[in-house]
Amino acid sequence: METIWLVVGLISGLMSVGVAIWLYVWVNRQDEGSEEARKVAAWIRQGAISYLKKLYVALIMIAVVLALIIAIVFGISKGDSVYGLKMAAAFVTGAVFSAIAGYMGMTVAVSANVRSATAAERGLNPAFDVAFRAGSVMGLAMVGIAVVGMSIVYLLTREPEIVLGFSFGASTLALLAKAGGGIYTKTADIAADLVGKIEVGIPEDDPRNPAVIADNVGDNVGDVAGMGADIFDSYVASAVAVMLLGVSLSNEALQIKYTVFPLILCTLGIFASLIGLQLVRVGEDGKPGRALNSGTIITCALFAVMVVVLVLLGDYNLGVLWATLAGLVTGVVVGFTSDYFTGDDRPPVVETARVSSSGAAITIITGFSYGLVSIVPSVIGIVAATLISYYLTDASGLDGVYGVGISAVGMLAVSGMIVSSDAYGPIVDNARGIAEMAGMSQEVIDIADVLDAAGNTAKAITKGFAISAAALTVLALFAAFAGEMRAEGINLRLSLLDPLVIAGVFLGAMTPPLFSAMTMLSVTRNAFDMIEEVRGQFARNPGILAGTSEPDYETCVALAAQGALASLIGPAFLAVVLPLVIGFVMGPEALGAFLGGAIFTGIIFALLMANAGGLWDNAKKYIESGMFGGKGSDAHKASVVGDTVGDPFKDTAGPSLNTLITVMSLVSSLFAPVIAAFHLF
Amino acid sequence: MDVHLYLSMMPEALIASMLPPEEFGVYYAVGSAKKSRGQAMFFELNPGFRHEYFDVEEGIRRCVPHEDGSPKRSIYISVYRVLEHVSLEALQTLYLVTQDGRSLALQSSSEMPQETSGLHLYQEIAPVHPLVVSTLGPRQFYELIVKNPTSLLSLPAVCFVELRLDQLAQDPERGAVGDLPYSNITHLRQCLVDLRTKIVHTKMVNRVEPASFPYRTIKSGIFVGNQKRLTYFPMPSQNELRTHHYRWWRSANM
Repeated sequence: METIWLVVGLISGLMSVGVAIWLYVWVNRQDEGSEEARKVAAWIRQGAISYLKKLYVALIMIAVVLALIIAIVFGISKGDSVYGLKMAAAFVTGAVFSAIAGYMGMTVAVSANVRSATAAERGLNPAFDVAFRAGSVMGLAMVGIAVVGMSIVYLLTREPEIVLGFSFGASTLALLAKAGGGIYTKTADIAADLVGKIEVGIPEDDPRNPAVIADNVGDNVGDVAGMGADIFDSYVASAVAVMLLGVSLSNEALQIKYTVFPLILCTLGIFASLIGLQLVRVGEDGKPGRALNSGTIITCALFAVMVVVLVLLGDYNLGVLWATLAGLVTGVVVGFTSDYFTGDDRPPVVETARVSSSGAAITIITGFSYGLVSIVPSVIGIVAATLISYYLTDASGLDGVYGVGISAVGMLAVSGMIVSSDAYGPIVDNARGIAEMAGMSQEVIDIADVLDAAGNTAKAITKGFAISAAALTVLALFAAFAGEMRAEGINLRLSLLDPLVIAGVFLGAMTPPLFSAMTMLSVTRNAFDMIEEVRGQFARNPGILAGTSEPDYETCVALAAQGALASLIGPAFLAVVLPLVIGFVMGPEALGAFLGGAIFTGIIFALLMANAGGLWDNAKKYIESGMFGGKGSDAHKASVVGDTVGDPFKDTAGPSLNTLITVMSLVSSLFAPVIAAFHLF
Repeated sequence: MDVHLYLSMMPEALIASMLPPEEFGVYYAVGSAKKSRGQAMFFELNPGFRHEYFDVEEGIRRCVPHEDGSPKRSIYISVYRVLEHVSLEALQTLYLVTQDGRSLALQSSSEMPQETSGLHLYQEIAPVHPLVVSTLGPRQFYELIVKNPTSLLSLPAVCFVELRLDQLAQDPERGAVGDLPYSNITHLRQCLVDLRTKIVHTKMVNRVEPASFPYRTIKSGIFVGNQKRLTYFPMPSQNELRTHHYRWWRSANM
C-alpha cells in the first residue's frame, strides 16, 4: 500500500510540475507590450538570469566539494562505499532539484512582470491573472519537484537517511539563494533610495537612477528565488525529519506506514493547492488581497478535509490528524498575526508612524519594541502546536515527537498555494516598476499599485508562515538528530549542569545573531560601494539626471551580484562547519545543546527582524499616504530612517535565519552517526 | 536659436537663455557640473520686454551659442530688485519645476479664487521669504502688504502662494495635520490661535522660510502683484495633476 502511495506521490508531483510548465507556457504567450516596456523588462531579465547563473556556478563548486566529503566520510564510517556514493548523489540531486525549481520560478517571474504590466492596460483582472499564474509556476514547481525528488530517492533506496542527503542538498542551495538574494536585494534597494530619492530627488523606479534595474532584479532574486528556495528547504526538511522519526517508531509494525505518511500529506497538499489555485479570482470588489487570502483559506480547508478522509479511511492513528490540523491552523494564525504587526492600518504601525514626529530614535525604539512584542503570539502558536501535537499523538499511542514533526508537515503541505501568493508579490512589484520606467499610463500604474499592495500583505503573511514552519521543522529535525544518536547508542541528556551542554547552548545562541550581523554588514558594505558608483555616475554625467543620457545599469547589477556572492562565504562556513566543529570537538551532547540554543535565538531573531522591518516599512507608507504630515514632514524623515534600518532586517537577515537553523540541524542529523563515532569529549 | 527671457522667483533673477522653457527648467533645477540644483519657479516673459532698470539688450547680445554649437543656457541680467521692475503684462507662462527637473506650465486666470472661510497660510516667495498666517484672503493680503499697507511695512511688488491648512484653518488647536508637512507644527498652531485671540490680521510664523515648499501644499495658486494689479496663476486640482500631469506630480511628491 505504501508503495502505491509513493507512486501516487510521484504522479502528483509530476502533475504539479506539468501544470507549472503549462502555466509557464501560458504566461509566455501573453502580450509583452511596447518596445519601451520590453527594453526595461529585458534589462531586469538579463540581470536576474546573470545573477542566477553566478549563484549556480558557486553552488556547483560548493556542491562538488561537499559531495566528495559526504561520499568519503559516509563511505568510510559505514564501511560501504556505495552508501557514501548514494548519499552524495542524493545531496547533489537535492541541490539540483531545488535549483531547477528556483530557475523556473525566476525565469517566469522576469517574463511575467512586463506581461502583467501590459495586461493592466486591459484592467485589473487580466493583470492579476498573469501575475498570479506566474507566481503559481514557482509554487507548483517547488512542491512538485520536491515530492518527485523525495519519492524517487526513497523508492530507489528505501532509506530515509539517504533522503536526508537530498534535503541537505536542497538546504545548501537555499542558504546560498536566501542569504545571497537578501544581500543583493537590499544592497540595490538602499543604494537606489539613498542616492536616487534622498540625495538627487528622483522618484522610485525612475529610469534615470543607475541602480533602478539592480533594485528590480533584487526583488526577483530575493523574493522569488530566495523565498522559494527557503520554503523548498523547510518543505523537504520537515518531511524528511518525520520520515526519520517514522522509521524509529517504537512499534516496528507501523514504521513503514508512518515513514511514508509525510509524503502522503505532501501529495494531498499538492492536490489541495491545485484546486485552490483555480479558485483564486478577484471579485467584483476588485480586491486582489482578498482573493489571495481566500485562496489560502480554501486550500487549507480542502487539505484538512482530505486529511480527515485519509486518516479515517486509511486507518491511521487519530493523533496524526490532530497534529496535522494543529500545524495547519498554527501556520494560518501565525501568518495572519504577522499581518497584524505589519499591516498599514493596524495599531502598531499607526502608533510607530504617530511617534515618528519626535524623531528617528523614537521611531526605531517603538518599531523595535513592537517587533519584540510580535514574537509573543507567534511563539505561543509554535508552543501550542508543539504541545497539542505532542500530547495528542502520544495519547493516541504514537510517539509524541512524531506528532510534532507531522504538525510541521501539515503546515507546509499547502506550500504550493503559499509560495504562489508570495511569488506573485515581486512580479507585480516589478510590473509597477516597468510601468513607471516605460512611461505607461496613469491608469496602468494605479492598477499596478492595487496589485502591489496585495503582494506586500502576501509577503508579510508568508514570512510569518515560513518562520513558524521552520521552527516546527527544526524541532522535528532536532528529534531526528536525537534519534540518530540513539541509533548509534548515545542517549542525549541535555543537563544544564553539564558544562559542555552550557557551552553548547551559549555557542548555539550566539550563532544566529552573528549570522545576522555578517549578512547585514555585507549589505552595508556592498551598498556603500554601490552608492559611490551611483553618485559617481550622476557626477560624471549630468545628462543622466537631465534625461538626455542613459545610466550604466550593468555596472550596478554586476556590483550587487559580485558583492552578494562574495559575502556568502562567511555565513555559509558558519552554517555548515560550525556544527561539525562543535560535534567533533565537544561531542554529541554539546552539539544537541548547540542546536537548541541556535533554534531558540534563531526563531526569536527571525520573528523580531521580519516583523520590525515590515512595521517600519509600513509606518513610512502610512505617513506617505497623507498622515502625520505626509511626505517631507519631520515624521516622514524619521520613518525613512526606520525603513532603511528595517530593510536588511526584514529582507536579508530575518528570513535567512530559517535556512541557517535548518541547515545546521540537517548537517547535525546527517553527520550524527560519524560524530557519534568520532568526538574528542 | 531664439533667446528667451525668464523671470526666476527662486532666487529672484532676470535671465536670458537659448533653452526653451522645459529644457531651461531641467537645467535650472538639475544643474550642471556646477552643482547648483533644486526646486525652481520661473515665468517666461514676453520676448519684447524691456525696462530701463535692466540692460536686457546686452544680456541678449551675450546670449550666443557655445563654440561647439550648443545653446547658451543662461545669462544673468539682474539678480536684485527684479520683480518690482517687471511689468505684470510681460508675464506669460509660469513654470513650477521639481527638484529633478520636471516642469508644470501654469497660465494666469482673470478670476481670483473663491473666498474660503477660516484662516490662511501664505508663503512669500519674492522679494522676501517669510511664512505668514492671516485672517485675510489672498486679495486682501496683497492689498495689505502692497497696495494699502496699514503698517510701516510694505513691498513694491510681491509673489506669494497660499498654502493649505486643511483642518487647521477651522480648528487650529485640534485639527488633524494630515498631509501637511510643516515643521514645528506646534508653533504654527499657536500662531493660528493667536489670530483668533488677538486683534491682528497677520502673524509671522517664520521670518525666513525656504521657498522650496512641497507643491502639493499649494491651496489655490500663485499670486503676483505690484502697485498696479494682482495676477493669479491657479493650480490645477490634485486629481487633475495626477491624471494629466502624472510624471510631474510624482516628482513633486517626493
